Amino acid sequence: MLRAELMKLTTTRAPWLLLAAAQLVVIVGVSGADDAVKGVAHVGLASMFPLMLGIMAVAGEYRHQTVTDTYLTTPHRGRVIAAKLVVHTGAGLGFGLVGAAVALGTTAALQRFELTAELTRTVVGAVCWNTVFAAIGVGVGAMIRNQVAAIAAALAWLALVEGVVAELVGRDAARWLPFTAGTALGNLPLDVDLSQAAAASVLTSYAIALTVLAVATTVRRDALP
Amino acid sequence: MRIHALSKHFKQVRAVDNLTFDVPPGTVTGFLGPNGSGKTTTLRMLLGLVRPTAGSALIGGRAYADLPDPRRTVGAVLETAGFHPGRRGRDHLRIVAQAARIPQRRVDEVLGEVGLDDAADRRVGGYSLGMRQRLALAGALLGEGGGRPRLLVLDEPSNGLDPGGMAWLRDLITAKAAAGHTVVISSHVLAEVSRIADHIVIVRDGRLRYAGPAAAMTKTLEETFADATS
Repeated sequence: MLRAELMKLTTTRAPWLLLAAAQLVVIVGVSGADDAVKGVAHVGLASMFPLMLGIMAVAGEYRHQTVTDTYLTTPHRGRVIAAKLVVHTGAGLGFGLVGAAVALGTTAALQRFELTAELTRTVVGAVCWNTVFAAIGVGVGAMIRNQVAAIAAALAWLALVEGVVAELVGRDAARWLPFTAGTALGNLPLDVDLSQAAAASVLTSYAIALTVLAVATTVRRDALP
Repeated sequence: MRIHALSKHFKQVRAVDNLTFDVPPGTVTGFLGPNGSGKTTTLRMLLGLVRPTAGSALIGGRAYADLPDPRRTVGAVLETAGFHPGRRGRDHLRIVAQAARIPQRRVDEVLGEVGLDDAADRRVGGYSLGMRQRLALAGALLGEGGGRPRLLVLDEPSNGLDPGGMAWLRDLITAKAAAGHTVVISSHVLAEVSRIADHIVIVRDGRLRYAGPAAAMTKTLEETFADATS
């Protein structure tokens, strides 16, 4: 089951294109930054790509109607979501690690730098951000089965909606919102009052809550409209 | 395969309405009805893809989701089953085999059986409709083996096939029945079914209109169908 999900991931081009696009963002970001920590922090920002990967893992199956075959093979749909979650969380970790390697390599090529505690915190936080956003993507994709709508909703949330919600709930509560917590986890220089550990916990909680909702709705709904 | 008092209501529409019929083992059963008569919804409920409003659809006494090895027990070609256009045909089948714990050697065997060996390493996006239909059939045949009789569920399987392909499909279905498998073929094209089916089920507006052996029909299939659906 896990291996089948891994094969799904590696037998189309989209995941590789997302991985390549993420590296482009990392390289451009690192090149434009004036110090190593700010540059490497772009690995965290590139967690948008594992988020999309996670969404496509589930919503993409509905888009191409491969989900029929998937459920014929594994009628217990909770197991399908669980397998996707495991494989894509792993893929998110992979995105983070590749991004970290590319970022550190690019930094090394451009400037002399030392692996300070601050830089290490940034790298580890960025890798974790990539990992947990892939898991959140799987939940979002299972909830919003229209792939275009799911990706649009996710990007709109990151670009616009979270900012509006933050205005409404106030700065104190806004730090718990997913993107803001992500920036804290990824050690972005944004002055968010949230420790990395707390940010990791809140994002993991989002991922777990979404997964529970995703399994509940997926099991209950008809596989096809 | 036993359908009992099966109903599915989508909001106000009664897509399937208190439907009851059996498919005798080892037969080719033609599941007929005009477009929109509930055939596809019935088959989707049989395969656990759509939840019935009431009633049951069982295979060997069990719901599809309760079959210990569903892919090996049932093979299905559904109109709504799709393929990722960027994936190669062979990879599609490898993934199904992997998930269903079917030996990977079966992939090459079914590719040969449906005549897709040469196209297997191309991306499905470049396939013709007929090639997709053959790939779907290959997926349905993957679980065959060990001489165990299976149920083949074919929903409008001749869509996209050219006349040669349809003749090939007829031979394949006849051969599967001769080997002891049970075949259910839904269609709105009577001519293709009348030549191979030995049991006939006709539905209209989600209700049963006729069920019985083809040999027991006193009129031609076309006349029986016209009577049953008028």
